[in-house]
Amino acid sequence: MPTTWIHPLSAETEEGADVLGGKGHGLVVLRRLGLPVPPGFVIGTGACRAFLRDGRLPDGLGAELAAAVRDLEAATRRRFGGPGRPLAVSVRSGGSVSMPGMMNTLLNVGLTAEAAAGLAAETGDARFALDARLRSLSGFASAVAGVAPEQLDAVVREAAGRAPGGGRRHLAGAIRSVEALIRARAAGPVPGDATRQLELAVGAVFSSWDTPRARTYRELHGIPHDLGTAVTVQAMVFGNRDERSGTGVVFSRDPTTGENVPFGDVLFGRQGEDVVSGRWATRPPAELAGREPAVWAGLVEALDRVEGHYRDACQVEFTFEAGELWLLQVRPGGLSGRAAVRVAVDLADEGLIGRREALLRVSPRQLRQARTPRTETTGTRDLLARGLGACPGVATGRVATTADGAVRMAAGGPVILVRPHTSPLDMHGLAASAGIVTSCGGPASHAAVVARAMGRPAVVGAADLTVDAAAGCVRVGGRTIPEGTLVTVDGTGGEVLAGRPRIVTAPVGPHLDRLLGWADEISGGGPDRGDEERLTAARAVLLNRGGAPPDGRDGHR
Amino acid sequence: MTRTPYPTGDDLLVLHALRCVGSAGPARLSEATGLPGPDVESVLIDLAVAGLTTYSPGDFGGWGLTEAGRAADAERISRELDAAGARTAVTEAYEDFLVLNPELLDLCTAWQLRPAGGVLVPNDHTDPAYDSRVLDGFTDLHRRADVLCADLSAVLLRFRRYRVRLAGALARAGSGAGEYVTDDMESYHIVWFQLHEDLLATLGIPRH
Repeated sequence: MPTTWIHPLSAETEEGADVLGGKGHGLVVLRRLGLPVPPGFVIGTGACRAFLRDGRLPDGLGAELAAAVRDLEAATRRRFGGPGRPLAVSVRSGGSVSMPGMMNTLLNVGLTAEAAAGLAAETGDARFALDARLRSLSGFASAVAGVAPEQLDAVVREAAGRAPGGGRRHLAGAIRSVEALIRARAAGPVPGDATRQLELAVGAVFSSWDTPRARTYRELHGIPHDLGTAVTVQAMVFGNRDERSGTGVVFSRDPTTGENVPFGDVLFGRQGEDVVSGRWATRPPAELAGREPAVWAGLVEALDRVEGHYRDACQVEFTFEAGELWLLQVRPGGLSGRAAVRVAVDLADEGLIGRREALLRVSPRQLRQARTPRTETTGTRDLLARGLGACPGVATGRVATTADGAVRMAAGGPVILVRPHTSPLDMHGLAASAGIVTSCGGPASHAAVVARAMGRPAVVGAADLTVDAAAGCVRVGGRTIPEGTLVTVDGTGGEVLAGRPRIVTAPVGPHLDRLLGWADEISGGGPDRGDEERLTAARAVLLNRGGAPPDGRDGHR
Repeated sequence: MTRTPYPTGDDLLVLHALRCVGSAGPARLSEATGLPGPDVESVLIDLAVAGLTTYSPGDFGGWGLTEAGRAADAERISRELDAAGARTAVTEAYEDFLVLNPELLDLCTAWQLRPAGGVLVPNDHTDPAYDSRVLDGFTDLHRRADVLCADLSAVLLRFRRYRVRLAGALARAGSGAGEYVTDDMESYHIVWFQLHEDLLATLGIPRH
């Protein structure tokens, strides 16, 4: 029987992002480029459409799933659900159009109690195996039983209170509590059979296409409701396996300045979601060069190849387990305005794109963003803290320490939201704020991503700051800064300053001058016009000639 | 089984409203409790004599709780919950609320920012079609939120005010007063935030 629903993650798979989803298609591209991707397969969007239509997994999918899992067992020399060396899988959503944070993802699926015991025996690390089992159950609690993250956190915290120290007893207690929660909230317990777990997880991801949140998101972004999501199933790789493991996100070029150096976050001994949460202090990826030189070399090589393929700056999510590198996702673009100008000019100089394409790559909006002001670095300044500049620009406003507080205070003037870290639940506060500061997290944290998306000046990882939301203040050094105090965020220099320092407009960089020079050659106009006008005139000429706009490329958000 | 919803006395009603609203004047507390303004003022003065509330003058002033007032509210509202036999019902409503909460936050964000060319830009409210799509989202969410508030009101009468206030904010927003989505002190977002705070305070759950 020919495969109809499932497609292997291999170089030979020919389906596009409409079937495989953007994430699945990116993984196929990585395989074609000869890069390390955990073995797996993609259940195409057609199966999701059938599931949503009929309310059950389509006929024949069960048999295909079983066959695909057998192939995965053979490729990894592991058994799904154990015993012996157990295979666990990640089950990730991903449609052809990105809907960040809207749909479900489950990790460690198939890690039954028996398989977890097998993992403990294999690794000799019972704590690691229990932690993996807890993450597995947490995924089911959230995706299948509909338990809110706050409630899940509360249950795990309560179990920790009964057996403090974060050791095996604490984890075993937390596992029992989450199991009880699932029994109370769902129709039944998480199945003890790995295959049934996988079917349940796939159904949960498909169902998440139609949650009210996802529907609203599509309504607002003009995404058709009938596309459906693909599901990517891959053998788990564990960034929390040991001290030679970790996870990270790396940009091939600095997403703020465009400088041609790898830039991003790495977290040693942790799983992927920990990087994005911004709850952990991350390290610059170049630290891998000293600690895991093979991983670093592999990463640099991978960035080079994906740039060559996409002919653009890219970001890559990766995990390394026991010193071995795996790539989990690739995405082109994601640059601030200033970086977009520099990268377009540099790529033209490197011969990856032509000058005309360089002009089409930079939008007038990015050009406006590129002329970002900075705080004056001379004279008397009251520097409170330094962090990483996550989005360039300067914003002055009154300090708020909660998202809700920011919304309330914004009625009275600009607000700077100062948080330990942010999550999608803080979006209303981020939206209401003129600038954003976090004390934890790196350039790929939630706060940084949102700040860049909205063009809000932001500093992340300002580690000297302590946010005390209960007391409504921020502490730094020996000083207490109450809510309502006027501060300034410089997202270029990564600085948080007291009061309202003097601001200078950024000098025109050589990259911008050259790009606009090329624009004038195309449009036949002179340099005596505004920047935006010069760029827009050239783009109009190029688009009229039928030059393809750069936005249609695969995987672009 | 039907039973009469448990009524809250005026003094606890005002004390607890201050706990959920934060610093406020009699007019806002009247809105939150449904009591007439002069009654609220009279209760506030009694509470102040008992050392539970305090008044600060000035533009940003108003009535607020003292430390003792906060502690008294926590103790009395918890006692009321058990006296009403409502702990299970309110716990379940809170769990349902946590599922609806991300939706509300998405919608508030969509009201403030809109997608344009792959990035989010401030919503300048010049596109009625977009704004009405967002308001449709609020209407859909409100149908489910109202069921939740009705369940709460069936055990504790004081939660009925949230039905009235949320429906009022939505109706005003729908008839052109856009500030009743996120900006006004009686906007949908602010009333929702107070409901969240109320559920946490009632169940004795600390924020974060």
